[in-house]
Amino acid sequence: MEQEETIPKTQTSEPVRRRTSWFATLRILYLRELKVYLGTPFGWVIIACAMALLGFCLQTVIQIMSKATGEGVMYYLLNNINFWFFFIFIFPLITMRSLAEEERQGTLEGLLTAPVTTTQIILGKYLAAYTFYLIIWVPLLLYPWMGQLANLYTEYRYGITASGEIPYLLADWFGPYAILSLMGAFFIAVGLLCSAMTRSQIISGILCTSFMISFYFTGRVTELWGEFPAAPVFHYISCTEQVSSFSRGLLDTRPAVLYLTLALFTLALVKRVVDYRRWTR
Amino acid sequence: MSMVSTEHLYKAFGRFMAVRDVNFNVEKGEIVGFLGPNGAGKTTTMKMLTGYLPPTAGTASIAGHDILDEPLEARRHLGYMPENVPLYDEMRVYEYLAYRAKLKGLYGKSVRAEVGRIIDRCGLETKRKNMIRTLSKGYRQRVGLADALLGTPELLILDEPTNGLDPNQIRQIRELIRELASEHTVLLSTHILSEVEMICNKVIIIDNGEIKAADTPARLTGSLRAAGRVSVEYKGELDVVMRELGAIPSVKKIIYEGTLPGGWQRLIVRAEPGTDTRERTAAIIARLGYPLRHIYRHIPSLEDVFVEMTRHD
Ligand SMILES: Nc1ncnc2c1ncn2[C@@H]1O[C@H](COP(=O)(O)OP(=O)(O)OP(=O)(O)O)[C@@H](O)[C@H]1O
Ligand SMILES: [Mg+2]
Repeated sequence: MEQEETIPKTQTSEPVRRRTSWFATLRILYLRELKVYLGTPFGWVIIACAMALLGFCLQTVIQIMSKATGEGVMYYLLNNINFWFFFIFIFPLITMRSLAEEERQGTLEGLLTAPVTTTQIILGKYLAAYTFYLIIWVPLLLYPWMGQLANLYTEYRYGITASGEIPYLLADWFGPYAILSLMGAFFIAVGLLCSAMTRSQIISGILCTSFMISFYFTGRVTELWGEFPAAPVFHYISCTEQVSSFSRGLLDTRPAVLYLTLALFTLALVKRVVDYRRWTR
Repeated sequence: MSMVSTEHLYKAFGRFMAVRDVNFNVEKGEIVGFLGPNGAGKTTTMKMLTGYLPPTAGTASIAGHDILDEPLEARRHLGYMPENVPLYDEMRVYEYLAYRAKLKGLYGKSVRAEVGRIIDRCGLETKRKNMIRTLSKGYRQRVGLADALLGTPELLILDEPTNGLDPNQIRQIRELIRELASEHTVLLSTHILSEVEMICNKVIIIDNGEIKAADTPARLTGSLRAAGRVSVEYKGELDVVMRELGAIPSVKKIIYEGTLPGGWQRLIVRAEPGTDTRERTAAIIARLGYPLRHIYRHIPSLEDVFVEMTRHD
């Protein structure tokens, strides 16, 4: 404390110190938020449910793959209606409480009267939620290894050399993870926006779920209406199509631009909403 | 340089003006009591000073830093305890205070040292590992106060720090605040006027969003209309005494309050504030040879001031 206060006054590099302390504060906010996800049952319940549901998807995938081949496991895992059915609910679950709960408890007042900016608070919450979202997908990396284990067991128990393998091919894994990260960057920001708009977790969750469902179906409009003059727009924002091409290994920069721009825009909006609600309260 | 100085502070909620043209200063080292009836605008004013609510018009500065131009620098100089003490229920006391200390810019070893010091100071030793959810109201209040004290800010803004506590706890918190006066300037709101008389050296009274008075308790009570009032009970003629007393220069009015059992006449002598007419009154009655059994100069309390300033009739 003493040093923080006295050193900069004698030094000339004032702006440099400010920068570092800006990130230090962000880091403190970020770590606390992450601790809320990983230090309470809340986060682990989400991870466990996501794992169970992914396991369910994998089971369907094995059924499919026993007939059709040609694509990797990740392709079938992500281009599967079971997957989308729970994927869109992950975002409201992760984000619904972050700002809404803070406001309901009144702790936002404590945060905003500490030497902290709104931007730092929002970024801290966003990065923590996003990190948690990424953590959800880590156990997926165990599937190939578990496949190996299963093969060994089959060989030992039944004496058959099982040939089913989930290879660790960068080509198979990079694409799906890239698109999952990109979509997450935007959808987490949307969830945060919904959370900033209300003091009720339920309402925030409902708002975010509605958005996710609308966005998902907007991407599939062309399947219903066929091709029409505005169709390219719908293709452009179709998350199902993007996942399909990325998980085949066909990487594209357009979704990256789309989601990162939307994420930044949404975060700017979150800041506006938090400030606006303060101004009118 | 004033610790707090507000310039024409206004706050509107929609069409409703919660705070109107508030101007006051708090000097370094003062303990200021911020008084007013429910809904007067105390909390709103405090929220504006701490930078949580933006003012509709006007501005304020904390330790010379404008709350609108340099919000972070202004906040670095203050510790705030909000009304109803919002806290993270799922955190432990130590963990929470350490987190707040870091947010306020402390780092490394100084976090531990400072949190330890504050925990001792606020009597939270036995609760340091407790979940905040499980704390009683009194301890929650202490955690809130501890939070405000972290990092020894020059200014403390405490919104009803003794709200909802039992008399023992109120006394302990009051003692704590009194001790704090040596290191901090304090601006506190409360509804317990005796508390203000005991610890504050300045009082600001706000009503309907407007400042009604800002002065030392002694001067406020001294300037009150009730201040020079003397009540007298004697046995004897009414007219002659009234005439004689009326001739004293500082006396403004004499009110006859009735005859008590046994023929005692009761009078109220209203004089200029700050004067004492007891001696001359007694002398007059003695000269007339009447027995005098009661003479009392009313000492107005802060409560009288409060009622007088915020009465709506
Ligand atoms: N968010 C808000 N929206 C609309 N009106 C508000 C809001 N917050 C406060 N008010 C109004 O502003 C006025 C002042 O409220 P404030 O909380 O500042 O009073 P107070 O002096 O702290 O009262 P108390 O002693 O009860 O705590 C009240 O009439 C209140 O109803
Ligand atoms: Mg209040």
